[in-house]
Amino acid sequence: MSLAIPNGLDNTVERPGERAPLVLGDTTYHDITEAVCQVAERPPGRGWIFGFLVAFALLNWLGICIAYLIYTGVGVWGNQAPVFWGWPIVNFVFWVGIGHAGTLISAILFLFRQEWRTSINRAAEAMTIFAVACAGTFPGIHVGRAWLAFWLAPYPSLNLWMWPQFRSPLLWDVFAVSTYGTVSLLFWYMGMVPDLATFRDRSKNKWRRMAYGILALGWTGSSRHWMRYEKAYALLAALAAPLVLSVHTIVSFDFAVSQVPGWHTTIFPPYFVAGAIFSGFAMVLTLMVPARTMLGLEKLITIRHLENMCKIILATGSIVGLAYGTEFFIAWYGQVPEEQFAFLNRALGPYWWAYLTMVSCNVLSPQLFWFRKFRTTPWLIVLVCIFVNIGMWFERFVIVVTSLSRDYLPSAWSYFHPTWVDWSMLIGSFGLFFTLFLLFCKLMPVINMAETKSTLAKQLHMKHNDEH
Amino acid sequence: MSDDKNEKKVHGIVAEYTSVDTLLDACRRVRDAGYTKTDAYTPFAVHGIDKALGIKPTVLPWIVLGGGLAGLATALAMQIWMNGINYPYIISGKPYISLPAFMPVAFELTVLFASFGAFFGMWALNGLPRFSNPIFTDPRFDRVTDDRFFLYIDAKDKSFNQAGAEKLLRDTETEYINTVVDDDTSTVIPKFLITTLITVIALSFIPLLVVARMRVTTSSQPRFHIFPDMDFSPARDAQQTTSLFADNRAMRPDVPGTVARGELEEDLDYLTGIDMESLTRLDADRAKQLVRTYAQAENGEPENSDATPKTDAPAEEKSVMDTTPWLKNNPVEITKDVVLKGQEQFNIYCATCHGRDGRGNGLVNQRAQQIMASSWIPPSSMHQESLYAEQYPDGKLFNTISNGIRKMPGYAGQIKSKDRWSIVAYVRALQQSQNASLDDVPKDQQAELKAKKADVEKALAEQAEAERKKEEERAAKAAEKE
Repeated sequence: MSLAIPNGLDNTVERPGERAPLVLGDTTYHDITEAVCQVAERPPGRGWIFGFLVAFALLNWLGICIAYLIYTGVGVWGNQAPVFWGWPIVNFVFWVGIGHAGTLISAILFLFRQEWRTSINRAAEAMTIFAVACAGTFPGIHVGRAWLAFWLAPYPSLNLWMWPQFRSPLLWDVFAVSTYGTVSLLFWYMGMVPDLATFRDRSKNKWRRMAYGILALGWTGSSRHWMRYEKAYALLAALAAPLVLSVHTIVSFDFAVSQVPGWHTTIFPPYFVAGAIFSGFAMVLTLMVPARTMLGLEKLITIRHLENMCKIILATGSIVGLAYGTEFFIAWYGQVPEEQFAFLNRALGPYWWAYLTMVSCNVLSPQLFWFRKFRTTPWLIVLVCIFVNIGMWFERFVIVVTSLSRDYLPSAWSYFHPTWVDWSMLIGSFGLFFTLFLLFCKLMPVINMAETKSTLAKQLHMKHNDEH
Repeated sequence: MSDDKNEKKVHGIVAEYTSVDTLLDACRRVRDAGYTKTDAYTPFAVHGIDKALGIKPTVLPWIVLGGGLAGLATALAMQIWMNGINYPYIISGKPYISLPAFMPVAFELTVLFASFGAFFGMWALNGLPRFSNPIFTDPRFDRVTDDRFFLYIDAKDKSFNQAGAEKLLRDTETEYINTVVDDDTSTVIPKFLITTLITVIALSFIPLLVVARMRVTTSSQPRFHIFPDMDFSPARDAQQTTSLFADNRAMRPDVPGTVARGELEEDLDYLTGIDMESLTRLDADRAKQLVRTYAQAENGEPENSDATPKTDAPAEEKSVMDTTPWLKNNPVEITKDVVLKGQEQFNIYCATCHGRDGRGNGLVNQRAQQIMASSWIPPSSMHQESLYAEQYPDGKLFNTISNGIRKMPGYAGQIKSKDRWSIVAYVRALQQSQNASLDDVPKDQQAELKAKKADVEKALAEQAEAERKKEEERAAKAAEKE
């Protein structure tokens, strides 16, 4: 598997009247199976082992920090009056946002018949689930008495016989994120079953065969099964598409429904959804570009795939930039002094450095994708995407911290100082994310083989028709 | 080998193809030959195969619709019942049943249940999971998930006959035809798996049982706290020690030079219940002692006790009789409010032992009698002549309340001086109430009391009559039996 793509295999050039190939070279069905299965079947490489050890160490550090937090109390964070929603909520919104790209790729692009999604959707969906797992950790421990987090469920609390308060956006959030996690998991697993059957049928080892056999549920590839399966897949995609839009909308309600200046704006739902897709695609690219090289999947995850995602980043990044501008316009146009102050304070107040980082990473850096060179050069893509990831974390930091640190009551104003636990948990959540992702790369089919084969079948069919 | 196959049940015939087009061609031929119980196995979803095989559309969308509606109904019913009916409370001035605020959760549950419908409905309709399938016995079938396509004709088909089906398939572009027979691999679950499973299940019950036992039983030990939940206050109890102060006492004495609220009272008569003037004459030492005690309580520092002056008055002979010059009268002006206050305080502090009527048979006494507590000294009844004002002056009664007597502890630390005097007033009223005649009652209330008395007497008479009758009946019955 060479890094360089031979001449004639550049599928980023548009040729009128012709569809650019999404599977490169004289690839057969069996080649696809081999290319994907070898990732899981060959022994882990040094890079993988090293990455896993680092990620696993960070995950353990996260666990230690959580134990310390639960044992000591939430005072170990920098959360102090008036900023009670510090980094835990910043991290929560950051990770939930990242998850959105996975569902967008697997559901919305599926509904729009964007066939280039087939080779990237599996990893993107996995990323969604792992990001939601990271996201779910933070509100879970942010409730203070984490061992009573189950009180968020509609359960009559033991002593008071009280129910949750369904008019609160925070409870909507519980339902939105848990529904999102569940549906994403079902969607991901259902999509994997035919490929797990491939793993089962290739397994030489008895135990491996048994494990994948159980996960594959006895899949045979029967046409009747495929027919219902495809119907279920399309229905799940149709359900997941509005779901993914609703989730970040509801996350934005956490802020927009409150009265805090800088939060109480109607632009939040679309602005949050665009930001979520933006950050999610950046994370997908950050993962996929190194992964396709390391796992030898260049023929399946082609430059065209990367380029398409860069275009989405450019589009959503511009939407986010427009939203930043609109916020200022509305603050001026609305003539509410607190709102006006909140936005001026964001850009020019004590957190000017965070605002500057946010705007330069989120609005300026994706503009580089107007240039073809930036869209088609893998390492440049990763560079821009890392900036976008940083920028999107800062966006949530700016929204949460600047608004809370200076609200209506000037006597309560204060500057937020994160503690070492805040830092550890942010870094540790990356440990959780990468541990799960690296395990996924080694144990599960990283590319949807069945769908890629079906794309190849169509490609072969078209070629066949051209020849006649 | 063929003999072996003949012995086993034949499920059908399978043929292998290498491309979509050859498979579709074969499917059409098999369909046109009249076979209906057929199936094609492919590594990916092949479009157009349902037509080529004659597969009917699925009912799955209806299941998903049903799931979605069920989710919507569940969410609305749950929210309306929980927040509008079972525990209604108003938030943000919204009505109890505020549909717009219930929409987000209703939407999420609609999607969730519909997704469950799609996911579980699909597997159920497909009859999966099914781990043992005769088609898996075919040695080349493993490639169905890789790059090969298989067409299968089931033996249960009405027009199935092995030779005919094989001939039909041989005419298609296939190089491999095989008979699918019973799967004879063992389906027994390994013993160690069962053992492990049972052990794990059994062990998992232990913590549950421990929790259940702890929940239903009582214990003299404090309950077990997995999480302390702020149940334990770091504040010390009165009798505990602390390292925070040099004297190690957790309960702090009054700061020198301060007086507790309501306790600023210069008059020692009022504080002690003793006529101090007379006491100084009768027993100067004791008077000095008392003065010093109270001064110390107020100033925090003991005065120099060496300089106790001797009075010139000759020391009186000590008598067994109580010679203390107790205050004869209550220094507090007796009003209705004072007596009512006294009643309230008496019922709080005194009645538990002395009883609300002051007869000395309060709940504590009753319990002590019941368990025959050996060290128990029954509380005195207020209604004995030795405790009437003539023999037991108000001052002495006040002193007894303040400092206790026999088993009774002093209440000076719990009841304010003023309220102790109120209790004294109330005890006097209580004593009088037991020996009063109708003439002691104000005229305007006499009639009312008479009426009440008549009622009570009538009720008592009726009761006595009823009891007498019962007794007679019983006697009559007993006589009849004999």
